Amino acid sequence: MNKKKKKLILLVVIVGMTVAASIAAFMFFKPHRDVQSARTDLVISANEYLSSADQANEKYLDEAGLSKILEVNGLVHSITEDYNNQMVVLIKSPGADAGVSCTFTIETNASAEALKVGQLVRIKGVIRSGAAYDEDLGLFEHVILDKSDVIK
Amino acid sequence: MAFTKIEDKYVSQKSHIKFHSSTPLEDIEANNYKAVSTVDASTGNVVFSVPMQSFEFEKALMQEHFNGKNFLSTKKNPKAKLIGKITNLGEVDFTKDGTYNGSFSGEMTIKGETQPITADGKITVKEGAFSLESTFDLTLTDYGIAFKKGKPSTNVAKTIEVTLIAEYAKQ
Repeated sequence: MNKKKKKLILLVVIVGMTVAASIAAFMFFKPHRDVQSARTDLVISANEYLSSADQANEKYLDEAGLSKILEVNGLVHSITEDYNNQMVVLIKSPGADAGVSCTFTIETNASAEALKVGQLVRIKGVIRSGAAYDEDLGLFEHVILDKSDVIK
Repeated sequence: MAFTKIEDKYVSQKSHIKFHSSTPLEDIEANNYKAVSTVDASTGNVVFSVPMQSFEFEKALMQEHFNGKNFLSTKKNPKAKLIGKITNLGEVDFTKDGTYNGSFSGEMTIKGETQPITADGKITVKEGAFSLESTFDLTLTDYGIAFKKGKPSTNVAKTIEVTLIAEYAKQ
């Protein structure tokens, strides 16, 4: 093999390795999905959603956790804070068994804090789990939305 | 020794569950703030329901792997469940402010696999409400989570440490 050919092979190997390493690094360090700037998959009212809660996990959850992004309309039932200092807004109709528990982020907390109990609101977030009655808990578990923000 | 006779069930909608995996190559941590739990102070029954897709990792790729078919398969198994009893209920007085050591024995179901589990914890009673804190280990192969090759086999610990805290109020 002549010197020129050897050099070319070396160059191809180096370029190849650099590309492979860049792709690997991109995959490894890729950022989390920005739920709020991503397209909404479905706009729905809390009541409408809950009537089909049994199929929700099958319909809306994704195998890699990149589950559907929903916008849910409903009444603010409570506003609390979790252990991560994120605001949690529960959308629930009076008399309903379960609601939609929407966890905000440090960046979106302010819009949750501005809400009032009883207010009609539309909240966008990624679904983590559907609602269902849990026999062991003896409770209805709410739909869970994460990375939420109020849609104005 | 104080015996409680409270019929009421306590509910927690505020919790933090963290797991920590440590190997010489990498430390991995995930946090979940969406578990729901109940404690029946009269029977000692404890239930935790944990939505698996609410575990948050620092790295997006790790979170996707965690949810995927080869790891926790969270679309098929969206919730993990812990059911059991406080075994030294006589030593915990839910009506009196103070910190009590609690022992727990029960079953954990993850990815459809159920295994016996015991854990110790701390119950802090204050003004008619209380918090529960506990740390215990889980062996991943017990729940059908095993990696034979590739990065997960070297970078994910075989046994992970779980830390939980939950705040309860009367239902």
